[in-house]
Amino acid sequence: MADSDKVIGKSIKRIDAFGKVTGQTLYPGDRNQENELWLKILFARRPHARVLDIDTSEAKALPGVMDVLTAEDVPINQYGLQIPDQPVLCGPRSNKKGGDIVRFVGDQVAVVIAENEEIAAKARDLIKVEYGDLPVVSDPEFALSGRAPELHPNVFNNVAEYKQIRKGDPDATWDTCNVIIEGVYQTPLQEHAYLQPEAGTAYVDDEGRITVHCAGQWTWEDQQQIAHALDLPPEKIRVIYDAIGGAFGGREDISVQIALALAVLRTYQRYGNRRPMKIIWTREESMIGHCKRHPMIIYCKWGAKSDGTLLAAETKIISDAGAYMYTSNKVLANAAITCTGPYEIPNVTIDAYVIYTNNVPNGAFRGFGSPQSHFAAEMQMNKLAEKLGKDPVDLRLKNILDGDKLLAVGTTIPGGVSLDTVIRKVAWKSNWTYPGKRGENNPDYPEDLPRFVKGRAFAAGFKNIGFSLGFQENSWAQVELLGKVEIEEAVLRIAGADVGQGHHTVMAQIAAEALDVDLDKITLKVSDTAFTQSSGSASASRLTMLAGNAVKEAAEFALRKWRREDRPAIAEATWLAPKTTPLDPKTGYGVPNFAYGYVAQMAEVTVDTEMGFITVDRVVCADDVGKAINPDQIVGQIEGAIAQAHGYTILEDFRVEKGQVLTPYFNTYLIPGVYDIPKRVESIIIEDPHPDGPYGARGMAEMPYLPYSAVIASAVFDAIGIWYDDFPLTPERVLRGLGKVRSRW
Amino acid sequence: MTYWKNYHLPTSIQEAVNLLTQYNGQARIVGGGTDLILEMQQGRQLPVEALIDPTQIPELNQITKEEGYLVIGAGVTHTQIVADKKIVRYGTCLVESCGVIGGPQVRNVATLAGNVAHALPAGDGTISLLALDGEVQIASDDGLRWTPLGGTFLGPGKSAIDPTRALITRLRFKPTGPNEGPSGEGSAFRRVMRPQGVALPIIGMAVRLKVENDAFVFARITIGPAGPTPFLAEKTMAYLTGKPANKQTFSEAAEVALAEVNLRSSRHRATAEYRIEMIRTQLPKTLAQAVARAKTGKVVPEGVGM
Repeated sequence: MADSDKVIGKSIKRIDAFGKVTGQTLYPGDRNQENELWLKILFARRPHARVLDIDTSEAKALPGVMDVLTAEDVPINQYGLQIPDQPVLCGPRSNKKGGDIVRFVGDQVAVVIAENEEIAAKARDLIKVEYGDLPVVSDPEFALSGRAPELHPNVFNNVAEYKQIRKGDPDATWDTCNVIIEGVYQTPLQEHAYLQPEAGTAYVDDEGRITVHCAGQWTWEDQQQIAHALDLPPEKIRVIYDAIGGAFGGREDISVQIALALAVLRTYQRYGNRRPMKIIWTREESMIGHCKRHPMIIYCKWGAKSDGTLLAAETKIISDAGAYMYTSNKVLANAAITCTGPYEIPNVTIDAYVIYTNNVPNGAFRGFGSPQSHFAAEMQMNKLAEKLGKDPVDLRLKNILDGDKLLAVGTTIPGGVSLDTVIRKVAWKSNWTYPGKRGENNPDYPEDLPRFVKGRAFAAGFKNIGFSLGFQENSWAQVELLGKVEIEEAVLRIAGADVGQGHHTVMAQIAAEALDVDLDKITLKVSDTAFTQSSGSASASRLTMLAGNAVKEAAEFALRKWRREDRPAIAEATWLAPKTTPLDPKTGYGVPNFAYGYVAQMAEVTVDTEMGFITVDRVVCADDVGKAINPDQIVGQIEGAIAQAHGYTILEDFRVEKGQVLTPYFNTYLIPGVYDIPKRVESIIIEDPHPDGPYGARGMAEMPYLPYSAVIASAVFDAIGIWYDDFPLTPERVLRGLGKVRSRW
Repeated sequence: MTYWKNYHLPTSIQEAVNLLTQYNGQARIVGGGTDLILEMQQGRQLPVEALIDPTQIPELNQITKEEGYLVIGAGVTHTQIVADKKIVRYGTCLVESCGVIGGPQVRNVATLAGNVAHALPAGDGTISLLALDGEVQIASDDGLRWTPLGGTFLGPGKSAIDPTRALITRLRFKPTGPNEGPSGEGSAFRRVMRPQGVALPIIGMAVRLKVENDAFVFARITIGPAGPTPFLAEKTMAYLTGKPANKQTFSEAAEVALAEVNLRSSRHRATAEYRIEMIRTQLPKTLAQAVARAKTGKVVPEGVGM
């Protein structure tokens, strides 16, 4: 196929590059409108309290303030991506029960509308709120214990979601195992840290629609949630995405959208106001205002034969939902499905809980539960290799899933499995050799350790592409061909969010390929609910595969019409992915996904045993992408995922105390810079076509993230002989492992 | 948000002082602004009527040698300091500290005078200048006067130099050696934190010392954060005087220092215990490096330019 490719398979320069590099492209905060009003949101800044009274009189009296909105101004005071469990504004006289309860520091209490940002901020500070503080629940295991107060009505023991998976009988198997590996793994919170904090503008458009410009991941879903809260039909709401400065899952849930639309609605109703609105969150507001990666505690017990064959696994996952559901239920399911790693284990029990607390809500973040589960699974695997004295690569190859083997959910993997290929490629490219058990070839801990010690390790991973568990995955696209004799212009309408990953470029490439025209003939019209339907979310590594199929089909239909002499030739397509099923509530049996991606990694590290710093010298990463539509963008995704996972593993230490965020700035919450990230990343693109992918493409953007924490922690073990079952591997934690520092925070 | 209404770029010291007088406490001095503007944005400094920026005053924009001192103007940036051959040779610890602050963009505008005025207990440049026994020239209504650097620190972020009434015009220190070749004097700075970044250090330390016949004539040691102000380890300094400049002394010095510092666990940087371990392992190395420089006269600054 590759030989006939004209536009795909080539590293075409990003179509959005020029505008972004020259500063011409508008991000939501850059849109300056004539005569605009500014919003400021009053955040509760307390983790658990009842709002007894709000006095806005002083704020409203401040010159330049148009209005101050509170709970009683919200038509339907609830929203949420999975379930509408969060008040738009917390306060008395909410029309939804429990709408007066603040459940985390970032809950919103009031929206100020004023002549400019300064007055809005001043007015916000003049609002008097009387709170009745409630007990703060910050530890998920305590929240689950039965001794904690219930944070949501009728949610017993604060269990937001529970997943149970049963296959075979581990209890009957342990006796037949020659070796058992047990571990308790703790993974940290992570902040998305996108460059552009939440921002947006809003106004009533010429057709009377409340129009919100913002940066999100799914225009259609934002439109639905705004419409619900405002009690308006969705067609009265229009959502347009400006350029998006990173998302990584953190923009999947609502941030400023409803507040903006609500301000437009109420000021129009009350004052006939038609002036546009604007809001930009500060970094600190962004830090407390949007969700984080779920911290999890994962209890593992795995058993194997002495030849390394895995026989049984028993896993318990405790995940912290934070204050509201967001996508916690789906993240939990993903973590549960992948917590046995990319291996076949015949006997499995998995009990997975996600628990409400008064912490900042946790939600979608690159990998969606799988980085956490892979940390546990791949550490287990490397510990097993060490215990048996077996090559971790051979041990993996012996146990990996293929097209015939059964997942923990009792079914096979659809769409091809390339674990064998990615693992072998990485082993080959990195000249992997097994040095034998660590204890036999390395100096003993800790007296004889030199200052700098090197180590290397291996890990692998897999994850679903697209939405799962019975949701009928779909994506819409429209192609309009203009011209007379030849196609002069092809207008491609899509709603997939280009969050920075290069989605629009890839879609233009696919359209050009399918139409057999040059790339410069393609005009993109994107992400405006006035003329785009749902292309689905920019998440779950799904857009290239899902939206790519829709674009390809729409282009092919349009071309057929063109050949039938339609002028213009317009066609649209909604691509439907193969069906999936929910998990059986008792056994977890099901076909949760229609496609997966595969990855393997080797990492080499240097550990400074005196100061505790870890340097990653080299990472070799192979990722099966099915078909590389734009190879440079794929390398960018691999390197970007590794840099982000590096922050998660080594540096990023999001600290929360009794529900209060202690690290709301980048001078305390450290994200990696160019001197922190691995010195060398060697990306290997594997193209094992997916039968349902456009030109064989499968999603890939999350995969390189998955094995990273485990491969680094295992390489650190290889270096200094200490297993770190929790991270980030800050210098302090490293020295604590070496016994040089004993205290904890 | 508006954090100031007017921004002044005086071209002489007198003009800067006049402006301060004119605004009568409603204006304040800004250097590179890399700390101050952030603090204003984060609400930790109040908005002002005016900012007065002395960094464009020509005479404050240079590094000179005067009356046996190396003199650094208030407008001199970290980048200029790092690139200055005289300071590399005769104030090495200052180059090593100024070279690791922030990233290149920060160092291109941030001034050492601003670092000193900020009076943080762990300001990298400040720690080194204090080890070098630096002095500050202050301009106010009363004219110009020199004062020892150590006396300007009142508490974390609190300087005796009121930025609404006075400004730092110059900083100076005596070079660690007058000639080429070994001078018997040397300095070194070491910091514990990630390789690069905008974060505050976990711990930093600077030394200036003199050795003769393999024994300490004197040593000045500063550590931060190790108390409310940049910490001068006087007991350690007294201990070192006359001691042989060898490994055992270096290690003993670290233990003496640990007995006199006041280390705290910060909620998002490090525990006191980690800081103790770092002083124990890194202070001897800092001393050893400065001694080597003093004896050989060979200086290659470390860790600069990330």
